[in-house]
This record gives sequence, C-alpha cells and structure tokens, in this order.
Amino acid sequence: MAEHPIPSPDTQEDLPRFWRTLEERHETPEARRLAEDEFLPAALDPADPPPSGISRRNFLGLVGAATAVAASTACDRPQGKVVPYTRRPSEIIPGVANHYASTFQEGTRLYPVLVKTREGRPIHITGNDEHPGVRGKTSPRALAEIIRLYDPDRLKAPQADGKAVDWSGAQRRLMEGVQAAVKAGQQTLLLSGAVLSPTAKNLLADLKKALPGFLPIAWEPAESESAREGGMAAYGTQVSIRPLLDKARVILSLGADFLQGADPEAIRAFAGRRKPEGQAPPNRLWVLEGPMTLTGSNADHRCPVKPSRLGAIALGLARELVVRKGLALPAGVSIADLPEGRPAEIPAPTWEGLLADLASAKKEALVLCGPEMPAASHAAVHLLNAMLGSEALEIRRQDPLAGRKEIRAALEAMKAGRVGALILWGVNPAYALGDRDAWSAAAAKVPFRAWIGQIPDESAATCQLLLPENHWLESWNDFGPEELSTLQQPAVAPLYDTRQGEDILLGLLRPGGGGDTVPADYHQLVRDRWRRECHPAGSPVPFDRFFEAALHDGVLRGKASPAAAMPLLGSAAVQAAKGAPAGGGDFELVLAPGCHVHDGRYANSGWLQECPDPVTKTTWGNPLSLAVSDARRLGLKDGDVATLSVAGRSLRVPVVLQPGQASGVLSLALGYGRETGSTARGVGVNAFPLLGPDAASPNLRTGAKLESTGKHVELARTQAHFRLDGRDIVRSQTFADLAHGGEHKGHHVELHTLYPDQEFPDHKWGMVIDLNACVGCSGCVLACQSENNIPVVGPEQVAKGREMHWIRIDRYYEGDEENPSGTVHQPMLCQHCDHAPCENVCPVNATNHSPDGLNQMAYNRCVGTRYCANNCPYKVRRFNFLEYTADKTEPESLAYNPEVTVRPRGVMEKCTFCVQRIQDGKVRAKGEDRPLRDGEIVPACAAGCPAEAIVFGDLKDPKSRVSRLAADRRGYKVLEELGARPAITYLADLRNPAQGGHHAG
Amino acid sequence: MHPFDRAIRLVLPMGAVAVMATVLSVGWFTQPDRFARGYAPEQPLPFSHQLHAGTLRIQCLYCHSGAERSRHAGVPSTTTCMDCHKVTKTDRPAIQQLTRLHNEGKPLAWNRVHTLPDHVFFDHRPHVKAGVACQTCHGEVQTMQVLTREMGMRMANCLACHRDPHQALPKGSKITKAAEHCAACHR
Repeated sequence: MAEHPIPSPDTQEDLPRFWRTLEERHETPEARRLAEDEFLPAALDPADPPPSGISRRNFLGLVGAATAVAASTACDRPQGKVVPYTRRPSEIIPGVANHYASTFQEGTRLYPVLVKTREGRPIHITGNDEHPGVRGKTSPRALAEIIRLYDPDRLKAPQADGKAVDWSGAQRRLMEGVQAAVKAGQQTLLLSGAVLSPTAKNLLADLKKALPGFLPIAWEPAESESAREGGMAAYGTQVSIRPLLDKARVILSLGADFLQGADPEAIRAFAGRRKPEGQAPPNRLWVLEGPMTLTGSNADHRCPVKPSRLGAIALGLARELVVRKGLALPAGVSIADLPEGRPAEIPAPTWEGLLADLASAKKEALVLCGPEMPAASHAAVHLLNAMLGSEALEIRRQDPLAGRKEIRAALEAMKAGRVGALILWGVNPAYALGDRDAWSAAAAKVPFRAWIGQIPDESAATCQLLLPENHWLESWNDFGPEELSTLQQPAVAPLYDTRQGEDILLGLLRPGGGGDTVPADYHQLVRDRWRRECHPAGSPVPFDRFFEAALHDGVLRGKASPAAAMPLLGSAAVQAAKGAPAGGGDFELVLAPGCHVHDGRYANSGWLQECPDPVTKTTWGNPLSLAVSDARRLGLKDGDVATLSVAGRSLRVPVVLQPGQASGVLSLALGYGRETGSTARGVGVNAFPLLGPDAASPNLRTGAKLESTGKHVELARTQAHFRLDGRDIVRSQTFADLAHGGEHKGHHVELHTLYPDQEFPDHKWGMVIDLNACVGCSGCVLACQSENNIPVVGPEQVAKGREMHWIRIDRYYEGDEENPSGTVHQPMLCQHCDHAPCENVCPVNATNHSPDGLNQMAYNRCVGTRYCANNCPYKVRRFNFLEYTADKTEPESLAYNPEVTVRPRGVMEKCTFCVQRIQDGKVRAKGEDRPLRDGEIVPACAAGCPAEAIVFGDLKDPKSRVSRLAADRRGYKVLEELGARPAITYLADLRNPAQGGHHAG
Repeated sequence: MHPFDRAIRLVLPMGAVAVMATVLSVGWFTQPDRFARGYAPEQPLPFSHQLHAGTLRIQCLYCHSGAERSRHAGVPSTTTCMDCHKVTKTDRPAIQQLTRLHNEGKPLAWNRVHTLPDHVFFDHRPHVKAGVACQTCHGEVQTMQVLTREMGMRMANCLACHRDPHQALPKGSKITKAAEHCAACHR
C-alpha cells in the first residue's frame, strides 16, 4: 500500500465518515482490495520456504513410512512418567491456580498486582482487587511482566571478567572493589533506578554510614526532567502530581497522555465519569497538543498546537480567566506578566468554549501538562490549577531523582578519577545517556565496575563484575506511602542462580563476611521494618500473623496523613512559565518514552514489541510521526526513510503520516534501537542521543530538520490489516443526541435466514463492549496474549498480516485528516455469531456452535483450509501460517497457560471467550450445587480492561448485567445487516462537546 | 483361455482378497481399545491396588484427593504413603526403598498408565460430583495387583457415556445427558 502516492487533500464530496488509514479515506484500489480479502495478499505468499525444507512428496513418503513403523511398534508404547511431589506443599493442588499479591515497580510508579501461579510458576498477572486505588486493574506493561520473567536472555549466574564465578566469590570481589575505593579515599557511585521502598532507602542510608564516599544516585531516564523543573519553580521542591479524575468535570490536557495505559486508576476514573447513567455530569476533555496521543484521540475537543507554545497559551488562559471571568490571581503574580489576547493557533470558538468551561467548573477543573513538555508549560499549568482551586489533583513532595546536572557531575567525577567503584543497578547509562563514547571514556577511568541486572545490556559490557538480579516476581520488598503500604513477595523461587539487588548490596554491610548485627537477608530486613514501624504497638495479633495477613492482601491501610498544603510560589512560577524555549526552525521534535517499551527496559519483551502502538498501530519499531500536510510538502509517504537532525546530531528513521499531528511537529519514541538482547537488538532507532542538554526542555527540541533519503522500508504496521467491509461499523454520538431521543439512525433490517435458530438450553454467553469507555490502551490485547498462549510472530510476519492476536483494537478516525474531529477505538474479536458464517463452510466441522452460544474451535479437527477465515465478515480468525510455537522450550514455555492448547502450524484459531474460564466456573458452581452467579466468569480481556469497557455474562439471564447493557439504546451490532447475529453488542461512543463550541476543535 | 477371462478368474478375486485384507487389518489395528487394554507397565515400586483399595478398602480419594478439587486426580506425594508406612510393614524392602526416597526428598517417578492427548482437558471434578465410580473408566482397580489399563481414553468412549450416562451414574441420579460439545473438553 505504501507504494501508492499519497492521495491529494480532500477534494471529493463523498468521503467516509470513519476511516483507519489515509488510503481507506480516499478508497484507493489497494485499500479496496484489502477490504475484500480475508488476509493481506502477503500472508498467502507462497515464497515462504517450508521451515523443515522437506518437499511435499518427501513428506508424504515419510508419513507413509512413519505410519508403518508406528503400526508395528505401537503396542504398549511407553506413556511417559508421572512424578508426584515428594512433599506436596499444602497450598498447592496440581491443576488449581494460586494467586499471590505482590507489587510491581516501574520507575516512580507502583502497581499492586495479583500473580496467578500454576504448580508454582507465575502464568498471569492482574491488578490487586484489594487495593482501593487500582481495584483489580493494572497497566499493559505490568501484564507483560510474565514473559520477562521467563526471558531466555537473563544472566543465569554471576560473572567476573567474563568467567563464571560463584556467589561467595562475586560478593567478595564486590567487597574488595568497594573497600579499595574507600581506602583510596575515592567515591563509590551507586547508579540505580528510583528507590521507592522505605526498607531499601534505609539500606542505602546504612551503606552511606558504613562506607565513606558512598554516593547513591537514583536516575530514571524516561521520567521527565522538565516536569520536575516546572514543579521546582512553582513549589520550590520536586513534586509529583496525581490526577483525581473522578473529581474532574473539565479536563484540559496540554500534551499530557494520561490515558496511555501507565495509569489504570486514571483510565478508570476518566471512563467512569463518562457513563451516561452516572450520577455526576459527564466530564469534558479538552486537548491542546502537538503529536497525536491516545489521550488526544479521546478528546471532546482537540486542537493541534506546537508544544513550545503551550506555556504561553496557558498563561493566556490565566489572563483571560482573571480579566473576563473574575478569577483571582495567586499572590505574587501581576496581570502585567500575562500575555494578552487569544493565541492565533486556537480558533475563537474553541478558546471561548474552553474559557467558559474552566470558569464554570473551577475546582472541578483540572489542567494537566505532558511530562515531555517544557518546564515553562508545567509552571504555567501549576499556576492555572492554583487559580482554579482544582480539587481534582494531589500534589505531593517527591524524593529527588537525578537530573542532567547530577549525571553530568557524576560523569565528570568518573573522568577525573574521583570514583573508585561504580555499581550500576537496573540502569543502562551506556544506552540511555545517548552518548556511548562519553560513557565508555568515563567508565574506563573507574578501577572497579559492577553491574546488577537481569539481561546483560550495553552497560554490562563496560563492567567487570556482572551480578544477575532476581526478577521482581522472585523478590521481597515493601512500598509506601504510609496510609497504603504494599508488599512485594516472591511468586516463584529464583529460576536461576540469581540474587535480589538489595541482597547483593546488603553483603556490603558485612565486611568480614560475618556481621552479626546485619540481618541474614533482605526479606528479614523488610520484616524487621514492618515489625518496628507497621505492626501496631500493643496489638493482640502476633506479628507473624499480622505480616501474613498483610502479605495475603498485598496492601496495608495505615494512618492517613493529610497531604501537606503546597503553597504556590506565584512570581517564581510565572517567571518560569515565561521562559519557554524559542520556537523557530523547521520542526519541533517531541521525544516521549515508548508506549510499550518505556525507556528501553522492556525492549526485549516480544509481547510488548508486537503489541501495536495504540495510535500509529506500529509494531516492532519507532517510526517518526509527522503531520500529513508536512509529509505532502516533503514528498514523504509511510515507510520512507528520512534524515532527522537536531543540533548537529542526526539519525535516519522511517516516517509515518499521522492524522491529527500538528503541522511542524515531529514525534519519536524513546526506548528503541537497543544493541543487546535477542529480541530487542536492532528494532527501531535509538532516540536518546537527540535529548536536549537543557534540563528545562530535554524532551522537546526545536529547530529540527527533516530530509528525505529516497529510501523506503516496510513497516510492521497493523492499521490496515483486517479491514471490515461495510458501513456503520463504529457509531459515535453526543451526550446531547442521547438526551434528545438518542436512537441511532442507522438501523438495519436483518436479512432473512435459511438456517434454523440456535437453541440455548442453559446459558448464552455474550459480551457488551462500551466504545465510550474504551480508551484504546491495549490492556485487553496483552491480557489475552498471556491467558491464551498467543504466539509472538516477529516483524516480518506482522508486515505480512500474520499477527496472531485474538483481540485487536481498530482505531477509526472521523472526518478531516489534518485534524480528525474524533477517534473511536473499537476492540474487535470473535463475535460468536448465532448464525456464524464460518461454521457453515468448514468442511470438517472443526468450528461449530456450542449449546451455550460459543462459536467453538476444535484445533485437533482443523485441517487448515482457511475457508472459515475467508467467510468471516469480522476478520477475527487467525491462521498459524508457520510453526510459531514448536521451538519454544524452557524457560519460555513456562509462561504458557496449561489450560489452553498450544496451537501448531496449519491450524486456525480465534477468541474462545476464554472457554477455559467458563468451564472452570461451571464446574465450580456445579461442585457447590448452585447456579452460576452473574459476573463470576470474567474473560481475560474484561479482567485486564482498566476502563471496564468489556462486560461478559449470560444473555439468557434477563437480570444479568450483560443483558441489561445489551438492551441499552446505544447498543448496536457490527455489520448487523448480514444477519450473522453476533453475541457481542457494542455501545456507541459518546462525545461531550461544549455547547456552541465548534465540535472538536 | 482368453486373457480377459484370466483377468476375471484370477486378478479379480486376488484384488478382492487384497481389498478385504486391507480393510480387515486396518479395522483390526484401529479398533478402539486395541492398544489400550491390558497395558500394565512395571512400576518402580510393586504397589498393589488390590491390597490397598481391595483388601484394606482405602478410599480412592484418600490418595487421589485432587479428583474432587482439581481437574487432575493426581498421584499422591510420598508423604501420603508415609502417613501409614512410617510404622506399617517397615521391614519390606519396597517400603524401605520408599522411606529412603522420602527421606532424601527424591521424587518417585511412576510409569503413566492412563494418558490423554494435550488437546483434551478432562476434568475429574464433575464426574466425581455426579457420582461416576472411578472404576467406570479405570477398571476394577481394587482387583489389580499391577495397575492395568482397562479402557482406552478415546473420544468414542467418552461420548458413548455422555450420550447415555445412566449406566455409569448412581441410582436416582437426575442426570440424563452430559455435554457433547467440543469446547467441553477441547480448548
């Protein structure tokens, strides 16, 4: 498709309202063909050699011979062994899953989770339902941690100078290195990620006391420094902002992508306040941003602007709110500091509507600033929130993280020979500093270098001592804050000869190897702190019982300490807000952490690499997004390689045309272009070298240049795959429409059917998907991948349209291609039709209907004719074109769910509504002599959806939640006119545009 | 003789015999329990179900307790054996061998007698709940010195009972039919 020239700007009258790609919008012949075929033409490419290299004829011959041999020896063939536990742990019943509460830390975020284990191995992660914040939900990246535990690239034993050593030798070597530095009067530098655990903080404090010159630096390369700078200016200290979206009626995002998946609480609260049946009035989301973000795609009004202008726009809003709406300015700010007039890039109706909305909502208004935006805009946003008196956010002091200044100073100290020992713990400066040579030169001056981590990375190559660390699913830890502590406990014993990072550092407290005052291990240290600080004094419950209960729940409620009031430093904030980076140059470049790979730490995870970016729908890479108009001007099309240069640094990167992207704005994801890791190596380009030196705006660069190289690459992009052919696939209306009658116009008369109606004696499983709640975060995709053993196929296969995800999220833009007036995210999965077109054409009856309404798929019966996929109007059937699973051995195969068949080559598969969970639920209910309860069976996608957009249940029970929702007036079936009678009802998307405000920008 | 006559008199009967032989041999080889019945591999310890389940009348679920709570009935851990054999028959070499394994924490690897393909997800729980006797599928285990397979775990055998379960069910059971759809066992 990329071979076609880009269609010219809208000239035709009759353009489709909803579209996924520019080609679909203009209905190029290629796009038309993709709608008609069930797979991409490349998927059926016969050029693929059979992996074994055996011809069909030889294969048949071998089968014949093998059958003959088998027939003659088949009698009493050995059936393998049954090896029971010698001593079965009382909590393990083979075949029954256990769940353990734990906590996953990612940078400065914590995710309380439940880990499902089978026979002692973790196989699935969900949020901890005991935690009042996340309530059973978690981020897509936390879900994908399962595959990282079983990463075959993990270092399996300590190494010194490239040779394997045992732990006592490794610990001794570490001690000697550090002691040498202490003796020489040099620094011992510990470069780590954010340390959030109170026990770990105590440990570092103890190390500081014990080792003169010990200097811990916490560094998170993906956490925005400009946000910290802005917060410093406004509050005089590093702060963290937590949005409380359930209290927000009007939300203004200045480039903030808070719906991207990293914050399940935000998604739940945002979606929760948009339910039409809710008590509180629905919220309205205004987005002013440069790149098209997932949050922008969920906006009621979105206006593309250059990010460098956001500070000035926010100050302009502040002025207008004072002058025209009578809001008071915070102390120390004079009206003369604020710019006058409406910014030229914002249309008058949008500006007026936004002002009116903010002024009327006041404390129910919330302004959020994107972490990547310059410090000036952060300061201006703090000012706005203070003026509005917003109650929809919580500002707290944050432990300082190292910024550019501290890192630069550390590098200087290393270069000057002031550092005698360097310990890297879970950080990768050789990659994330963006300057390999500077790092290598500095590291070479340090006599002793140790690395603590899981997968040897670019930085490990610069260290002498490699200490393999436990995965967090093998570790102990505890986290604050005091009013809601969470615990991390191992869900599995360490798979390899690894130790927890904290345990390795604990060894440094025992100079002679003994040390009687030092606890035996970190677990003991955590318990000791809990005994001291968390166990209520005088409690009748003994500590062991108390700790066990806390471990069981994973959370412990403590005394709520009201957040200390944070007074805004008005004049400092406004001064900072005016210091916006100068615009100018051809382009502004936004560098944000990759949606799935974050700062590169997840780059070796196949699940995350293959999960499409929610907006660009790219997998396996980080192409540069640019506006459609800019691409036309430069003669670039999707997949063309361009040279991007900023301040003397340049790299070659393929581009994608992004509808909604502001003209003159480029965006590129960090975390790609890794050089180590069998999965991560060579995927995408490393954007870290482009980060700016200025702490006020490292992630936003102005003066970027873009030039075409004339080269073209094939992108592994799923947005054009599996196009549905028909009208009225997505529906979107406004709250006002809904209030005035609401019945959607496009009702279809169903075609007469020749088939008898299905009968459902007991249950009829069905699903309702609320397009209004779905924000498109992809949590369902990863939850399904983990639950149903979905293989990872790799970029070449994805480019051919052979990705295997059972649930995909189709992203439809609405209207204009420069600034779509709306975007709808539609999860698409097997619809379990009553009159399923796939069932009628299967020559071997491998797919047929179950008496409880499932469109079931018997893999062992499937012969791979693919007729079913050909006949499926929803294009949700996936075919194993190649052998994606047979080469998976331990440890990777340990991630498989033992309740689901692992499918081989030549077999068709698709969503089963998690039939393994249905069967288990039924059997449990039967065992307890009771009927199934509504909501008892939850498929993985519904459990993984932070927005609670997916509801599953029994349509035969008129009182069930799913039955009531399916009868909602927003409900419709996709391609209803075909008469397939799908079991999934979609609820139309709802928008909440401002009265009189020009709809969506 | 005309060549055509020879063809009719010789080739045709020979062909018919060959076809018959093929049909019969394929049929014989593929008859449902042809390879299943009588499979009795030697076990690492000479455990006798006849003694334990027959003479001593220990309940099946005492050792195979998973059948009520899990898909898998399970094979007991050696701890379960040692519940009795700490004191019972400690003079027998087999029990001494068992004790040694148990004390060393080494697993006891039995030879599997009943097996199912990977794409079959049989669940013991509803069968036990419905009152289906273990012997229905596993044979008269309480009479077996060496555990011997009585029935092949084949879909035809499953379906025969699911379609007409009354023989396998206790008297007075209200169940008249069991699941026959694919997803009941395949997923």
